[in-house]
This record gives sequence, structure tokens and C-alpha cells, in this order.
Amino acid sequence: MTSGKKTKAARSSVQAARSSVVASKPKPWGTIIAVIAVLALAGTVFTYAYSRIAEKNAAEAALAKWVPSEENKDPSEQIAGVVKKEYPAGKHVTPDQRVAYDQSPPFGGPHDQSWAVCTGVVYDKAVRNENMVHALEHGAVWIAYNPDQVSGDALDKLKAKADGQPFTMLSPYPGLDKPISLQAWGRQLKLDSADDERIDQFIRSLRTNKYTYPELGATCDSSTFDVDNPPPFVAEAPGEGAVPMEGGTEDTSETGNTGTAPSTQPSS
Amino acid sequence: MESRGTTTATRAVVVSVAVVAVLLLGAAVGLLIQLPGAETSSTPARDSVDVGFSQDMAEHHLQGVTMARAVAGRTADDAIRQLAFDIEATQQEQVGRMKGWLSLWGYAEQSPDGTHMAWMAGSGESHHGGTTGATGLMPGMATSEELAKLRSLAGQEFDVYFLQLMLRHHEGGAPMAEHAAKHAGQHVVRTLAENILKSQTAEGDYMKQLLGQRGAAPLP
Repeated sequence: MTSGKKTKAARSSVQAARSSVVASKPKPWGTIIAVIAVLALAGTVFTYAYSRIAEKNAAEAALAKWVPSEENKDPSEQIAGVVKKEYPAGKHVTPDQRVAYDQSPPFGGPHDQSWAVCTGVVYDKAVRNENMVHALEHGAVWIAYNPDQVSGDALDKLKAKADGQPFTMLSPYPGLDKPISLQAWGRQLKLDSADDERIDQFIRSLRTNKYTYPELGATCDSSTFDVDNPPPFVAEAPGEGAVPMEGGTEDTSETGNTGTAPSTQPSS
Repeated sequence: MESRGTTTATRAVVVSVAVVAVLLLGAAVGLLIQLPGAETSSTPARDSVDVGFSQDMAEHHLQGVTMARAVAGRTADDAIRQLAFDIEATQQEQVGRMKGWLSLWGYAEQSPDGTHMAWMAGSGESHHGGTTGATGLMPGMATSEELAKLRSLAGQEFDVYFLQLMLRHHEGGAPMAEHAAKHAGQHVVRTLAENILKSQTAEGDYMKQLLGQRGAAPLP
């Protein structure tokens, strides 16, 4: 544009030239086109930049929605169908005991001292509930499926979500009342399809969610649980000798309580 | 003079448009540019090297811990037991550091969309193995089948396969550590990454030596 430092002579000659151009052409088409072109170019560049940023922000927001935070401690509350229950942590039973769980599959309550290995393990056979529940207490997500209803592609999709994924395990659950059931400590979601987007949402929301699982920093490795030959699932109802939901021996190293352990139930 | 008035009006329009155009371009540049110092703020961006490295290396380390823990009860060899104890304790502690940072920054402990190493995109290091931003196993990670085979072995057979898997694991993680040591914004991340790179390189040399002593070679 015109610089204020130009000499008067130069300025007047420019004005004269411009006046003559304007005078000879009633409409300055060249200027109009140039102006529109510059504006269009700048507009396009800005629109591109803005849409790129908007896209990125939308993608971030979509991911952040399922990431637990101080403002959003349990993102699974935004998932339709999630059942939530509070269970006291650290109540243990022995390998020969059974727990009369209030849910099927269970997702909290007394459990075996030994947790099921949850280092991204695909269990081909159904595993004893009392061990699986302990893994939930360590922050794992357990994907259970009805072996009569889920196989082939659908099962492969579930395996891909568990195999090699830290704090995740997959196992068949005979007699499951839905094709798929997801468990985290105190949370459950039953689903019909392996393609349901709520599977990933549940996993992102609750796997090692420091606000929802009781034993921060607990491991998925085990020195006592045989991952290649795990204790089997028992289909029969637990019966009379079973440890009730409010039972189990308190492990003070996990609960932090001292003094006498309350509510110790007689073993079967 | 009418032509003089038209000229003034035209000039006003041209100047206004120029100003608007410059503002738009400036805004666009502002949106697209990431200032070199942006990642030195206390909370790195979700797609930063710092966050990506912490999530991926923590997951990578956890499998190292799992393999080291498999040693218990499967070998009587003191050298292997000592090595495994060191790897388990060190890597578990380092996982705690990385998860602690992620917790402070407000990010997930694991890659939320299941992809790995997108934070290494465009780096020269990524050609060492694996694809950036892909799902599936990171370089050096053992498959479930390999882990099951490891658990099925005992004695010197176990020792050799353990060394082979752990050596490959260390070597697979090296490019990640190398990239983060150079490009992470936070000094704590760069320092840990550099330390992992150095100590695991030395440990790798030691494992090659142990393999040689047992008449075995690294995995191809």
C-alpha cells in the first residue's frame, strides 16, 4: 500500500495515474477481481486451518470423554445399560470355598486370595469366579461371553480387545443370560453384539480407573495362579456352605483396617 | 471530483480487504503453528511425545515385568534369577513413574484408542520395526503363544528362551526410548528415556554374553 514516506511528487503522480485509470474505466474490474481473489484465498486458508483444528479438537473430545478425570471420575456413567454396585474390597476366601455371588457373572464381593492373571489373557475355558473377581479388584476388565452364542468373527473381535492388552481378560461363561457381559470392579454391562461401540467405551472408562478400583498399583501377574491350567468354573449353584456376599476374611494388608477382623464367616 | 471520490473509495476497500486478508492468514498460521516451546509447559498435549512415550513404554515395560516374573520356580541359575529380579524391580518402578506423570497430566494409563507409537510418526527411528499409529503389538513384544511357550519350559531351555525373548524385547523398545530422549518436551521424560536406552543397551550386551555362554544365539 502507499507509504507515507513517499514524496509529494511521487504521490501525486500515482494519484494522477490512478485517476486516469478510474476515469477511463467507470468500473475498476481488475481491482474488484483482485480484491475478491485475495479475500477468497485468505478465506480458504483460514477455513482449512479452522477445520483442521476443529477436527482435531473433536477427535480429542471424543477420546477424552472416556478418560477418567477429576471432573469425570466414572465415564461409564454416560454409557447406557451399565449396572453399578458398591462392594467392600479385600474380603478373601480359601481355594476350597465358594462365594454365593449376588450377580452372574459377579463383579465384586469376597474372592480368592489368588487373583486370575489379567495381563491380556484369553482364557479358552471358563475360570473359577472367585479368582476372576479378584482380578477386577486389581483394575482389570473381564470380558465374558456365552460360548453357545458367541463364536467365529464375533469371538475374534472380542479376543482382539483382550489379547496382549494389559489389565484385560476374556473367558467363556457358560449359561450367561446375554451373549456378552463386561465386568469391572462394581460395574457391569451386558450386550448382544461384539460390534457394540459400548465395549470400547466401557474398557476405556473403567480399566485401571483410579477412581473406581480398590487396589491402586496392584499387578496382573501372579505367582500362585496357573494361567495355563486355571481352576475351573463351577456351573452348579454354590449351595448352603457358601460364603455370603457380606462374608469373607478381611485382608488388613489390602483394606488398611487394623484390629480384629470383623464379619469372618465360618468356612464350609 | 467524482473520479477522485471513487479512487478514495476503491483505496479504502483495497486497504480493508488487505487488512482482513492479513488477519485471516495470521489467524490461520496461529491455528496451525505449534511453537517449539509449547511442550515445555507443565501439561503436555495428548498427542505429544511425552504422553505417547509414557503410555507405550509403560505397557512395553509391563510385559518385561511379566516375563521376568516367569523366572521364579523355572530355573536354578543364579545369573538368570539375578538378572530377572533386576529387570522386574527396575521396570515396575519405572512404570510407576510413567503412570504417575500420566495421572498428574490427566491422561489415560494406556493408549485410549489402542494404537501405539503415533507419537513417533515422521521420525527416522520408526523404521527399526513396527508401524506408527497402528494397533497390535509394539516392536519386541512377545505374542501370547510365545509367552505360553516360555511358561512351558524349565531349566536351561527356559533360560535360553527367556534370554532370547528379553533381548528382543529390550531391542524393540530402544527406538522408542531413543525418540523420546531426543524429542520429549519434559526433562523428566527425556531423562528417563535416555536412561532406559543406556541401561537396556548394556543389559542387552550382557544377555548376548549369557546366551553365548549357553551355546545359543539371539532370535533371528
